[in-house]
Amino acid sequence: MSSQHFPVYSLLLLLAAAVIIPLLNKKSFSKVKLFLITVLVAVWGFTLKTLLFVYQSGAYSYNFGNWNEIIGVQFIVDEFSALMTLFVMSLAILILIYSFKDMEHEINKDQFTGYYTLVFILLFSMIGITYTNDLFNMYVFMEILSITSCSIISIKKKKENYMAAFRYLILNTIGSLSILMGIAMIYMVTGHLNMTQVYQTIAEVWQLYPTNILTAVGFILTGLGIKAAMFPLHIWLPDAHSTAPSPSSALLSSLVVKVYIFSVYKILFKVLGQSIVVALGVPTFITYFAAVGMIMGSVFAIGQKDIKRMLAYSSVAQIGYIFLGLGLVTIDGLSASMFHIISHGLMKSALFLSAGAIIYYKDKRNINDLDGIGYEMPITMFVFTVAAFGMIGIPGINGFMSKIYLSFAVLDANKPIYLILILASSFLNAVYYLPIIISAFLKESKDRKNIMEIDKLPKSMLIPMVILALGSIIMGFYPQLIMNVVEKAVPTFLF
Amino acid sequence: MDDLIVKTITRLIVPFIQVYGIFIILHGHISPGGGFSGGAVLGSSMILFTLSYGLTDATKKLPHKVTGVLESGGIIWYILLGLMGILLGGKFLSNKEVGFFMGQAGEILSAGIIPLITVAIGIKVASTVITLFHTIIEED
Repeated sequence: MSSQHFPVYSLLLLLAAAVIIPLLNKKSFSKVKLFLITVLVAVWGFTLKTLLFVYQSGAYSYNFGNWNEIIGVQFIVDEFSALMTLFVMSLAILILIYSFKDMEHEINKDQFTGYYTLVFILLFSMIGITYTNDLFNMYVFMEILSITSCSIISIKKKKENYMAAFRYLILNTIGSLSILMGIAMIYMVTGHLNMTQVYQTIAEVWQLYPTNILTAVGFILTGLGIKAAMFPLHIWLPDAHSTAPSPSSALLSSLVVKVYIFSVYKILFKVLGQSIVVALGVPTFITYFAAVGMIMGSVFAIGQKDIKRMLAYSSVAQIGYIFLGLGLVTIDGLSASMFHIISHGLMKSALFLSAGAIIYYKDKRNINDLDGIGYEMPITMFVFTVAAFGMIGIPGINGFMSKIYLSFAVLDANKPIYLILILASSFLNAVYYLPIIISAFLKESKDRKNIMEIDKLPKSMLIPMVILALGSIIMGFYPQLIMNVVEKAVPTFLF
Repeated sequence: MDDLIVKTITRLIVPFIQVYGIFIILHGHISPGGGFSGGAVLGSSMILFTLSYGLTDATKKLPHKVTGVLESGGIIWYILLGLMGILLGGKFLSNKEVGFFMGQAGEILSAGIIPLITVAIGIKVASTVITLFHTIIEED
C-alpha cells in the first residue's frame, strides 16, 4: 500500500460507509455504531498517516486517473490540507461519539441511520474541499456540502427547523451560484480550472483584465462570505445553528464554516496570488468586514435569551477574528488565523456539546433558567466554563493564545486600531459568557438545593466533552504544539 | 388512475423506453448521452408505470429495498472499479495505463473501464429517480 493513495482511501471509505449504512440492519443500533466508529477511526488513521507522510517526503499532487492537471482533477496534499483534514476528522470523531446518545433523544428512531449517511457525506465533501486543487471540483464538493448541511438541520422535522433550513438553502444557493460565476470569469480569462495552472497564467494576464478579475474575486468572496457567515451575510447562521440538533450545530459551527474559510485561503493565495490580491485591495476590505463582525456579532449575542442562539452569534464574532488574521496578508496574521480556526473549533464544539447536554438532561434552553445548574451537572458546566473562558481570552486556554498571536500580528502589520477592537470584542464576550457561569455556580436553583452531584449523563456524551475541554487547556498551555505545525502550513500560501 | 387505454399503452411502451435507456447507457462512451441521461430514461419508464398502475403495483415490481440496494451498489461498484486502478499499480480510476482492454475506438467493447462506469452511474441514477418519485408520492 503506497502512502500516496491515503487521501483517496479516506475519501472513498467515507463515501462507501455512507452508502453502506442504509443497507445495515436497522434493528441493531449497536452494530451500526460499531461500524461507524471503525470507519471513522480508519479514516482518522489515514489522515494522520498522510500528515506524517507529507512531513517525511514533502507535498505532492495526486492526479486522478493519471490525467495531467490541465484536463484532469487534481488533489494537492500539502502540509495545510493534511493538517486540516486531520483536524476535521479528529473533531468529527468526538462529535459523532457524543451524537450517538443525543440523537436518539432528538430525532425519530427510523431516521437514525439516515442521519449518519448524511453526516458521512458531509465529512466526505469537507475532506474533498480541503484536498482539492481544482476550482470546479471545489464547487461540486461545495454543493454536496450545502445540501447535506441543510439536511442535518431539517432532520428534526419541526417548523423552525424547516424555516432555518430553507433560508440556509436559499442563501447557500445564491452563494454557490455567485462562486460559480466567479470561477467562470476566472476561467474566461485564464483558460484553466486547475489552481496551480490558473496561478501561473493569471500573473501574465491580470494587467490586461483587472476589472474582470476584480469582479470574479468579488463574486467568489461574496459567495464564500455567505457560506462562511462573514458579518453582513451571516443572517442564516443564528437560526440554522440554534434550531439544529446539538451535534449538527457543533459540526456546522466548528467544521463546516471553517471549510469554506479554507476555500477563501485557496482562492486568495493559491489561485490569485498574494501580489495580485494586495494590488486589488481585497484584504483591506476583508479586514473592515471582519472588524465590524467582531463587534456586532458579540453585540447581537448579548441580547439573546436562547443559549444556542447566543453561541451561534458568538460564532459570527469569532469568524471575524479568523478573517481579520487572513486580511492582514502577513505570515503572522495567517498563522494566527489558522491557529484560531483550530482553537475555535475545539472551544465552540465544546460549548455546543455542553449546551446540548443541558438540553438533553434538563430540557432548558433559556439562559435565565440555568441558575445553580453547576451543582447538578458539574462536569458539563466545567467544560462550558473552560470553553467560555477561552472565548473571553482568560490566560491558560487556547482562545487567549490565538488572541495574543492575532494581536502581535496586528501590531506587526502596523494597524493598532484593530488591537483596540480585539480588546473591545473580548470585553463584549465576557459580558455575555460570564453571567451564565456566575448564575450556574453562584445562584440558588429554584427547584432543588445546591448539593453537588455528578452528572447523570451517559459516559459516551461526557467523555468527548471532557476531551475537548482538556484539549483546549493543553493547547492553551503548550500552544507551540499546534503552532509549529501551523507554521509549516502557512508557507503553502505565502512565501 | 384506472384507465384501460393508458394502461395498455404503458404496457406496450415501457419495454421500448427501457431498451432505449439501456442503449444510451451502453453507448455512453462512443455517442452523446451516458450514465446520467440513460439512467434518467430508465427511471422515467418506471415513473410512467407508477403513474398508470398505482403505487402498490409499482412497489410490488420494484420494492424500496431493491432500489436502495441498487443505489448503494452503483456507488460501491464505481468505487471498486476506481480501486482496480490502484491495485494494478496506477492511480484511482487509472484506465489505459494499467492495461484495461482499450479495443477499437467506436465499438461498444472499448475504452477500458468507462462503459462499466457508465453502467454503474446508470443504475445509480435510475434507482435514485425511482426512489425519489416513490418517496414523494408516498407522503400524500
